[in-house]
Amino acid sequence: MAVPVTAPASQVRSVSARHFVKLKLRVMGNNFRGQGWRVALFLVGSLIGLWFAIAAFFGLAAPGLAGDDRYALLVAAFAGGLTVLGWLLLPLVFFGVDETLDPARFALLPLSRRTLVTGLFAAALVSVPTVAALLALSGLVVTAGVFGGWSAALVAAVGVVCGLLLCVAGARAVTSAFASMLRSRRVRDLAAVLLAVLAASLGPLQLAGVAAIQDTDWDRLTGVATVIGWTPLGAPWTVGIDVAQGRAWAAPVKLLITVVTIVALLAWWSRSLESAMVGAATAGPTRARPGVTGGVVAQLFPRATGWLHRDRFGALVAREARYWWRDARRRANLITIAVVGLFVPVMVNFGGQGFTFDSEQGFSAAGDSSPVLVSLSMLFVGLLAAVTLANQFGFDGSAYAANVVAGVPGRLELRARITAFSLYVLPMLAVVAVVIALVLGEPTWIGFMAGALVATYGAGLAVNSFVSVLGAYSLPETSNPFAMNSGAGVVKGMLTLLAMVATGALAAPMVLAAALLGDAWLWLGLPLGVAYGVGAALLGAYLAGDVLDRRQPELLALVTPRR
Amino acid sequence: MALRGLAKSFDGKVAVAGVDLDVPAGSFYGLLGPNGAGKTTTLSMAVGLLRPDSGGAWVLGHDVWADPVTAKQLLGVMPDGVRLFDRLSGAELLAYHGLLRGMDPAVVDQRAAELLDVLALADAGRTLVVDYSAGMKKKIGLACALLHGPRVLVLDEPFEAVDPVSAALIRDILKRYVAGGGTVVFSSHVMEVVQRLCTHVAILAAGTIKRVGTLEQVRGDRSLEDVFVEVVGGRTATGEELAWLSR
Repeated sequence: MAVPVTAPASQVRSVSARHFVKLKLRVMGNNFRGQGWRVALFLVGSLIGLWFAIAAFFGLAAPGLAGDDRYALLVAAFAGGLTVLGWLLLPLVFFGVDETLDPARFALLPLSRRTLVTGLFAAALVSVPTVAALLALSGLVVTAGVFGGWSAALVAAVGVVCGLLLCVAGARAVTSAFASMLRSRRVRDLAAVLLAVLAASLGPLQLAGVAAIQDTDWDRLTGVATVIGWTPLGAPWTVGIDVAQGRAWAAPVKLLITVVTIVALLAWWSRSLESAMVGAATAGPTRARPGVTGGVVAQLFPRATGWLHRDRFGALVAREARYWWRDARRRANLITIAVVGLFVPVMVNFGGQGFTFDSEQGFSAAGDSSPVLVSLSMLFVGLLAAVTLANQFGFDGSAYAANVVAGVPGRLELRARITAFSLYVLPMLAVVAVVIALVLGEPTWIGFMAGALVATYGAGLAVNSFVSVLGAYSLPETSNPFAMNSGAGVVKGMLTLLAMVATGALAAPMVLAAALLGDAWLWLGLPLGVAYGVGAALLGAYLAGDVLDRRQPELLALVTPRR
Repeated sequence: MALRGLAKSFDGKVAVAGVDLDVPAGSFYGLLGPNGAGKTTTLSMAVGLLRPDSGGAWVLGHDVWADPVTAKQLLGVMPDGVRLFDRLSGAELLAYHGLLRGMDPAVVDQRAAELLDVLALADAGRTLVVDYSAGMKKKIGLACALLHGPRVLVLDEPFEAVDPVSAALIRDILKRYVAGGGTVVFSSHVMEVVQRLCTHVAILAAGTIKRVGTLEQVRGDRSLEDVFVEVVGGRTATGEELAWLSR
């Protein structure tokens, strides 16, 4: 019997999620092959994760171990809700999402969307954070078991697993949606606003939390926890307690809420996934943009850099300045600095002083925020801004070859990169200093706040110049600004941490001065801080430039993605 | 350009095992080899993009690794498989390369306008290079390598993924460049192009030079393709395998 050519279905075995998981494990394994230091870093990262997981496990199991079921619902609802929020927001702000399996790679394979999403979802579950979170949240099962016996424990276990699925699905959906939004140039401003709103909502939430904790009225808090328990944020985590406390009817309803949410998130992910797959292949149709005026040199320089000389340094700065805006990956970093830079100081400086909703004085009620506390929060903002440059050559990837071929001196290169980045960051830092000072109701503090910011930022630039030359790593050549290689995840974390600690140490004098010098610091802070920052940045570029001169080809090899 | 004993291995796997090559000034030199022969690795080491394990490279007497500044000034390079700074428009990219080479802005303006015109890239306007087609990317890469008027031009796979019209244009430009006293070294596995353009040829396989000399010396009285397949040791399909292809 002849086999028709168009019907090879009999030989095609169906592709299941198992294949994706195996593929991911294989890719991870191959990443480690022959790279002892990567294995070591992975182990260290896993151990840290395990440590936190065990600590959190006992935290969550505490109500059960202590035998006090008054707090059981509270702990489950709040801790669970925070876990979900963290899982959604942290990849956006800090860590990026593990794109070991890049969806674009599957675009040509005859896979249905359902297969692809289930497969990638299953593969996403196989990661250190997921395992750590599962371990930590099992504490809820212990609590439920103590109060409600085996049946409650079983229900709680089901809830925890569902909740974790919710977390992973949510993280994937959010980052995927954001990636496609940031890639489309038309929507990028909208994306920036959305991210800002998202982060802004953290502020009130945190204030509400503080208010609730200070309110000793436990009934009211329990009321809040009950409400959270009925949202997707808390539903999966509270089912065990519900059964234990005799509300067995609530468990199926809450599990249904969870499952519906997961399905909705997966559907959302699957929609944005399609655009991610197609987008990577074509990047969308683009019109040839007319309107060429002036010579090519005039075109290279953005208006804000018009004051630069038309020479090597000028060209480097102009190119970098254009890149910070045109490269989605870099732009995402800038947005992060802007948003986090504004909201972290607000939270730090208001967090400690009992800010309740019925306070009529509003924001200006601040009184007990001290110069030291403010300096510390400024330190953090400066750190965060500078650490963006920790892998500045990785952003360029193999394009850095152009600079190697042209033999750009290392010091010139680093100074130009610092200058271009500062074109964006220094205005932002100025805004941060002014806004925070006004919000605190202490306009006279603007000077030393700006001083602390610039000093930390400058010291950070110096540290990160070295980190970027010595510890560069390649970023995958995808248009997803949140993507990174799985092996690089731990490396990135360690390097960032190292750079931040070193910067913090270098900038510590600013905090000390704020603590010791008192009123004199209000006037000395700005000039001394700026001098310290500029001096540190220049010295860093000078010393690190020397290192760069000696290892340009090696650096190029580090940042070139392996194919 | 002279290469002496260039060798490089990656993770214990030998990519290039000692390459000696003398490229006479004013020659049109073709570096031939199958995929994975070490062409890109050799050229990268010759222009200072990849540090060799041993051996050295000289451009008009200047050591690329000991005196990189002078040597790199004489070189124009178009690497393969390397991204350009592709979030700039073609004009911006040219301006960047020109200024990076320390050229006078007025000269950059004039030369870049001419290059964009000749290479038919002026119509692209402010389109970013990332949105260019493969052929346009090759052309803008060539323009970047030519802009500062180098004495030696090193091109890695300049005719890969280029349509016939653009290829003819690139050929003409390179011919004029050599006629004007420049030296071109390029890698390729398109025999037809090499046969038409080159004065000298080297065949590289498995990291070593198998044949080297003028085109006539290497080719003899056979076609270059026959020599190449013989040297590299290719196989031909017998028809037994892949039977399912002709269902």
